[in-house]
Amino acid sequence: MLEIPNLDIFIQLLINGILFGTMYGIAAIGLSLIFGTMRIMFLAQGSMIILFAYVSYWFFELLGLDPYISLFLIVLIGLGFGAGIYHGLFKGAAAQEDKNISLLIAVGLMFLVENLMTVFWTADPRTISTGYTSLVFRPMGIGIPFNRLMGFIIALFATTGVLLFLKKTYIGIAVRAAAEDMEAVTLLGINPHRVNSVVFAIGTGLAGIAGVELATIYPFDPFFGFIFVLKAMIALAIGGIGNVFGALLGGIILGLLESLSSFFIGGGWSDAVSYGVFLLILMFRPEGLMVRSVKKA
Amino acid sequence: MLEIQGLNVFYGDIQAVWDVSLHVDEGSIVALVGANGAGKSTLLRAISGITSAKEGEILFSGKSLKKLPPQDIVKMGISHVPEGRRLFSNLTVYENLKLGAYIPRSRRSVTQSIERAYDLFPVLKNRMNQKAGALSGGEQQMLAIARAMMSRPMILMLDEPSLGLSPMLVKTMFELIMNLNRQKVTILLVEQNIHQALKIADQAYVLENGKIAMTGKGKELLSDPEVQKAYIGTRWSKS
Repeated sequence: MLEIPNLDIFIQLLINGILFGTMYGIAAIGLSLIFGTMRIMFLAQGSMIILFAYVSYWFFELLGLDPYISLFLIVLIGLGFGAGIYHGLFKGAAAQEDKNISLLIAVGLMFLVENLMTVFWTADPRTISTGYTSLVFRPMGIGIPFNRLMGFIIALFATTGVLLFLKKTYIGIAVRAAAEDMEAVTLLGINPHRVNSVVFAIGTGLAGIAGVELATIYPFDPFFGFIFVLKAMIALAIGGIGNVFGALLGGIILGLLESLSSFFIGGGWSDAVSYGVFLLILMFRPEGLMVRSVKKA
Repeated sequence: MLEIQGLNVFYGDIQAVWDVSLHVDEGSIVALVGANGAGKSTLLRAISGITSAKEGEILFSGKSLKKLPPQDIVKMGISHVPEGRRLFSNLTVYENLKLGAYIPRSRRSVTQSIERAYDLFPVLKNRMNQKAGALSGGEQQMLAIARAMMSRPMILMLDEPSLGLSPMLVKTMFELIMNLNRQKVTILLVEQNIHQALKIADQAYVLENGKIAMTGKGKELLSDPEVQKAYIGTRWSKS
């Protein structure tokens, strides 16, 4: 069943994979940052993305707000919401030696958000359909859907923003330091709760971006979040944890993998291939596929 | 300046510090010496708030530190260079130093503080853009001390600053500690290098199994026959 596609189709597959993969990538950046200081996988990240997809859907349906305008609002809401989640739910557990408590809170939050979304918006798939939803650029005959291109550009901006924040601001440097050694960070007078709430804010802000992107290009329902966070974890496994750009690249590689495998092997196979790759990486390169050496603080 | 009264500290179920009382005078060098596992590091960790004390009191200029989290204790003017240096190895030398001045009071003068650190340790200036993990052991120890000094502390607590250094660097390290002390920084020093530590200490405490076994002026303890026998080795065995 392996057929040789013509070049146009092949390029189309690559472009779609890259553009869709950036969404996994920015979700993975959030996971990576939160893991850095909290030492847990924030499993509710996917449900947050879907939640923000619904929020942008509501902004569009109820207020007529274009998703690329409500994006700014949603990122702000996401930043505040993330800090709120930390202070409300994780603050007490974060100080505990046993990280399973924080992990269980994340799982509980995921189910809570999933079920609340089902109550508010039902389980029917939704999508935002604007005047430019079917707009496709065709430079040199290669079709580039406008919304996917926008998503890609926004993701690049967001990644650059996060990188600059971690490099240039005082609290950003503290976040990187805390990922290495939280105790040493507090010995310099830095409040660990502040560092943790900052990573939650950024992680949830990025979830807002991914949510808006998703709402503009793909039908979603409340239970899509769990699959999404799994994909983000695969992106992390490929890109290596603790590396912002690696996470984005991991997402893009995963997007390519899915796009190519669904064409060459068959639509139903793309998820199986992703999870298969995930397991293989965890078995043979648990530190991440693109990490050159294990860095130990 | 720093007053510890009847302190009991536990590590899980094991008691590491037993009824320890000591005081550190302003401007002095106080050494805590003793064998491995005597409870020296635990005592420092209790003062800086990483480990909480079960009973007893820790007073700094009359105020209790016992219920404060580590970040607030730093703000009061106590800086702790922990065992094993605990540098951020993926951050540059410059970033490590910069973080040392995180607290609001010292952040205002971060540029001068970094210049001062480079004056004190010129080698750090040459390596400012290298990752801390790429430094040699001696350079890492210098960076750890320089980082702790960035918050402009009144008391500097040093946990085994000479550990893993060559004999020549050990000498430099102790000269440096005396030099910092001359700049009005009170020093609380934990050391296994008992001979060197007692030589520079105004006051010293010998810890054994979490209890204070002996105390006195550094030079007095140095010539004390019991200390000689237990920790330093007899004179004739050296020659």
